[in-house]
Amino acid sequence: MINNLTKRTRNIFIIFILGLQCLIYFFNQKPLTDNYIQKSITVENFSSIVLSKSGITKIGSEKLNKIDENNIYLEGKSYLENKEYKIYGKNISIDLSKEISNSDEYVEVINRMGLLKAQGFKNLDYNGKIFFKGEIEFVIEK
Amino acid sequence: MNLSLKSKLFFLILNLFFFSNANCESYVKAGESLIWDSENKSYTANGEVEFKNEKFIAFADKMIAKYIEENNDEIFTIIELFDNVVIEFKQETFKGDYAIYTRDDNIIRLTGNVSIESPTRILTGNELIADIDNNKRILNSANEESLVEVLLENNAND
Repeated sequence: MINNLTKRTRNIFIIFILGLQCLIYFFNQKPLTDNYIQKSITVENFSSIVLSKSGITKIGSEKLNKIDENNIYLEGKSYLENKEYKIYGKNISIDLSKEISNSDEYVEVINRMGLLKAQGFKNLDYNGKIFFKGEIEFVIEK
Repeated sequence: MNLSLKSKLFFLILNLFFFSNANCESYVKAGESLIWDSENKSYTANGEVEFKNEKFIAFADKMIAKYIEENNDEIFTIIELFDNVVIEFKQETFKGDYAIYTRDDNIIRLTGNVSIESPTRILTGNELIADIDNNKRILNSANEESLVEVLLENNAND
């Protein structure tokens, strides 16, 4: 009788412990996932393809830093290339959701007209405008 | 001796090549900003703008250049210059508040405080039409009655 009671108590205890473990496992899941998303990802010698309004744009850099779901930062020598232009610069920020890229560093752009040199740029890809800053020299090829 | 002459000739040809290339180079320079609008096919330059093509060199505070796509190339068709416009064409200097150059007919039109300066004369007016291909200049003043038409010498002899 006493043995049976002890056995029953032990079983209940084991089930309780298992249930507790399940609860701990379940509640531990969310914070872990959150931490993973917030973590920035860094990739070296990176190149990829982005699909935007102007078509397929190839991007690359010495180092890629993923800031969040929509923002990436191309660190060091970087480039953006598509059928309209080739932009070669340094430290370029890209907002993928707004289709905006910009940099405050020296930049060289090759397009069908010629070679453009500027001290920075802001590319509003969604409306086909690129703003070049500072002293600009645009040599037009024949 | 022969070798020296050959090397001199080689360097002379090389210099001539680079000099001719530098002279026919077209460019746009801007001190503040440049906007490339690929949807409206235009470039807008701001701040101490300098524009050079095979015909002339121009200076202004602002420039809007429209282009077309032709044989996979982009070619400027209309150049608009705003404020403190100075255009140097051969030995002449045109000045005005606003200028527009159209590539199709090679004509430069300047308006507002216009002047045309050459080694022998300075003329002022309100509007200047410089026909580059026909070497013809038409200068209008604010008063429509006074109009000066200048046919340059080399064309007048034809």
